[in-house]
Formats: sequence, C-alpha cells, structure tokens
Amino acid sequence: MSAVVEAKGVMKWYGEVLGLNGFTASFNPGITGLVGPNGAGKSTLFKLLIGQLHANGGDLRLLGQDPWNNVELKRKIGYCPESNQLYGWLTGQAFVETLLRLDGMRADDARKTAEESLAFVGLTGAKDRPLRTYSRGMRQRAKLAQALAHAPELLILDEPLSGADPMARVQILRAISDFAKRGGHVIMSTHVLYEVERVTSNIVLIHNGKAIASGDLHAIRALIDEHPHAVRIATSKPRDLAQALTAMEHIVSVEFPAPETLLVRTRKPDAFYRELPEIVVDRNLDVHGLESPDDSLEAVFRYLVG
Amino acid sequence: MSISLPTYTRREIPLLGRRHRIWAIVVTGLRHEIRRPAAIFAVGVGTAITTIVSIVFVFFVLVGQPLELTFFYTPASNPAMLFFVTLMAAAVGAGLIADDLDSMALTLYLSRPLTSADYLTAKAAILATLTALIAVLPLVITPLLAALLGFSPWDVALEAVGISILLGLLLTVFFTSLALFLSSLTRRRAYAAAAVFAIVFGLLATATILSQTGSLNEPALLYLSPWDDYLAVARAAFGASGGTIDWAPALAILLGITVVAALATWVRMRAVEVVSG
Repeated sequence: MSAVVEAKGVMKWYGEVLGLNGFTASFNPGITGLVGPNGAGKSTLFKLLIGQLHANGGDLRLLGQDPWNNVELKRKIGYCPESNQLYGWLTGQAFVETLLRLDGMRADDARKTAEESLAFVGLTGAKDRPLRTYSRGMRQRAKLAQALAHAPELLILDEPLSGADPMARVQILRAISDFAKRGGHVIMSTHVLYEVERVTSNIVLIHNGKAIASGDLHAIRALIDEHPHAVRIATSKPRDLAQALTAMEHIVSVEFPAPETLLVRTRKPDAFYRELPEIVVDRNLDVHGLESPDDSLEAVFRYLVG
Repeated sequence: MSISLPTYTRREIPLLGRRHRIWAIVVTGLRHEIRRPAAIFAVGVGTAITTIVSIVFVFFVLVGQPLELTFFYTPASNPAMLFFVTLMAAAVGAGLIADDLDSMALTLYLSRPLTSADYLTAKAAILATLTALIAVLPLVITPLLAALLGFSPWDVALEAVGISILLGLLLTVFFTSLALFLSSLTRRRAYAAAAVFAIVFGLLATATILSQTGSLNEPALLYLSPWDDYLAVARAAFGASGGTIDWAPALAILLGITVVAALATWVRMRAVEVVSG
C-alpha cells in the first residue's frame, strides 16, 4: 500500500503566526508516531488531516485524497482530539453512541457498538457515569473509544496518553497496538518519545512546523539517552513513591515541586515506564496522572536543528 | 502484572442516510438544551405566558363578542411573543454554533461524515422546534379554543389556524436564521445573545421613534424593524386595519433577511476552521 499520508511543503498560517512551515513527510501504513514539543505543529497537522483546517500552501493527501471538506473521507478516519472539553452531562455510553449515530449507525447497532468499544478501552464499569465524573485518563479512553468505534481505516490520535494514569496508558497502548495488528493505520502525536516507542519504531519528528527527521526511532535514541527524561507524577503518596523510585539505578533525581506531585528524572525512560505500574501495584500506591515536561525532548530538537 | 482486555474487531455495519445523522444532532442538541436553566425558562415561561395572554383575550376581554378573523390579529401581535421569541433566540440560538466553536464539540461533529449543510440544518431544527412553541403554538391554540367554546365559527377558526401557522413559521424561520448567523460569528454566546437583542429591540425602538410625528415623520422607517414588518404581514393576513407600512415589502424584507442570513451562515461554516478545541 502507498503512504497513508503524503505531505509536500504544507504551509499553515494563523494570521501572522506560522503553524506549519513547509511540512514534508510520508506516513507509512501501520503505526507512526508524530513526535515534537508543544507548539511544534502536531495539532495543526492533525486538523489539516481531518479537514478542519485548510492549508495555505503545499499538497496534503490522506489515503490518496485531499482532506479539506472531504465528507466521504471522514468515514475512514477515527479522530481523538487532545482537548478535554467533553459534554460533561453525557455518560460515556451516550457520548460514544451519539457520535456513532452521526456516522449513520442505527440506534441499536450504535448502542451495542458503543458498549463493545468502551469495553475495549476498559470503561465498561464507568460507561453509565457522566463524563464530568471521569478522571483525565478515563476521558482519554472515552475519546479513544469513540474514535475506534466505527471501525475506521485510520486512527488519528492527538496526545492520547496525555495525563493518563499508568493503567490507562497500558490500556490505551494495548488498544492502539491491537487496532494496528488488525490492519488499521495509526498516527499518534506525543511530545514524549518513549510513549510511542512501545507501539512503533516508525516516527516523524516535527519542530517549528517542519518535519526534521523521520524513520526508525532507534537512530535517534542514542541522542536522547544523553538527556535525562523528566516525568511529573501526580500521587497522594509522593514520599512513598519517591522511596520506591530511588531504588531504581537509572533515576537521576527526585523532586517535590507541589504537595501531591513528584518530578522524576531518569536516564532510562523505557525501563521507568515499564517498571512503574508494577511498583504502583505492589506497594498499593495511588497514581492519578503522569506527564512529561518536554524539556528533554526540546534539548534533542535543539541538537538536531543545530 | 497481568491485564486482560477484549480484543479489537472491525465491524462492517450498514450505515443510515443523511436524515438520520441530522436527527442525531437534533436529539443531542435538544437533550443539551433541556438541561440548561435559561433554555428551560425561555421555553417554559415563554410558551406559558404567550399562550395565557392569547387565551385571556378570548375568555375575559372579548366574551360575548362575535370573533371574526380580524380578532385573531390580537394574539398574533402579542408583544410577549416578540419578547420571548427574542429571548429564545438569545438563550438557545446564540449558543448553538458559538458553543461548538468554543469547545471540542465542533471538532467532534466535523470529524464525522457530515456536511456544513447537515450541521446547520440540525442546529436550525433545534432552535426552530423550540421557537415554534412560542411563535406557533399559542396562535394555533387560541382559535381552536375559541371555536370549542363557541365564540367563533369553525370555518373562521380553521382559517385563523392556517394563517397563524404560516405567520408563526415566518417568525420562527426569521429568528432561527438570524440567531444562527450571529452565533456563527463568535465563540462567545453572550456576544451573539446581546446582538440578537440589540438588533431586534434596537431597530424596533429606532424605527418607532424616528417614524413618529415630531421626529423624521417618515413611516417607511418602520420597515427597518423586523417586528413591524411582521405586524404588517399579520395585519394583512387577518384583514385587520391600521398600520402604516405595506405587507408585501415587509414580507420581502423578512424573507430576504432570513435567506441572506442562512446563506451567509452556510458560507461561513463551510469556510470555518476549527482552530481551538
């Protein structure tokens, strides 16, 4: 199959602000990670791909078609936005069901499919609760459920792991991986390289609206490992968690920037993300969110762009 | 740690057509509105007061008098209807697009296979349904009640019902189109709501003052006011006397604004780019 996305010199201006600056890249079938710091142009590219922004120049093709105002193309896409402003009064079930009805699904099919999709992302127990009562990780999973539910060919996921707790991360990454194994394509953005590493080695690096590198991420791993990776953890027991984490040899530093927050720097982020859920479960700790400030990635980008 | 999860399976499900997709937006929109106190007030109190005021004329004011077709101009010109229809346009209509522009809702709507026309049709249906409760329902109930109570012959009452439906729909589509246009121009519902009131009552006050003797003394200025245009059409439809402007230009103005506002909204929504959300 040819490239899922072909972008040649795509330009996007917001008034006098440049969103994309001659973005040129090819996204191959399977899972591709779009990695870049906040403000790099990831969301702009996604809005262009789903036809909600119009490029000011260049050529953009999604599954071989121009996405702008392309209604039929939308049937093939599942989009998970970054924003968390959901209709809080809707239950998770009603949220997914409503969006499936917008795809043209019958009410009974929509109900059944929404249930299956919510089960797939691990939200069966919470499906009848209003979205406003969901944690950030649960909202991410609800958004993923609506993106997956209508069996799209391509998933476009804007920071799907942002703010998700360890359990939600496992479930979201598992869902993405499983979707791709069954022939689906995925483009997911993140400002944390290690998040995509668990599901693909195929990445596009974006910085200041330009694709600065693409291909196998192992090629840049060596560069990134030179810079300690920061992770901010929201937990009700920061001291207990800190005690457990400092036993890990790759942890460089542990800070307490706020009462229920821990800032950890590690030289082996992949090992850290792999071992953290086990520590949390074994010690019965409560972790409500993980976030990675993009300073470590920013350093790598500064290196790459000279 | 072991986690067991269901696996993903692709489903091929036959999809329904455009009408069903529009209906899904309408249902979601109505479910949203009935949770909002401002919308509940506008619908509930608006419908109740306009209906009660209209019926009061039948029961108390004109009991014993033969009700001819011209009588039904009285409930149709009820100022409470103007106020509550405007309130409805401001409380509900102003936020229909603005709120979606300001939140993730438009992003999600437009990520589905919907055209701008589908989206606008659904939004118009939401507002029109609620506005018709104020603009159409009381005008239909009044002649029916008059006929049931024997105050009016059935043929007159049924003719009044027909005229009332057309007049109510005229008011409904005008306010729907205007409110959606204003809502599409901003991300803040308060701005659109203020604009609805400013346009309707600002033009009413300006036209009334300037057209009076002692001011510009130019009755044609009343054409500037949508409410006066509507009253001119209503007077002609019920055969009532009075008024200083002709119904035909007034009708043309109302319909013209309705069509232009609808087209402008459609053009705007086709071109709109979802920057936030």
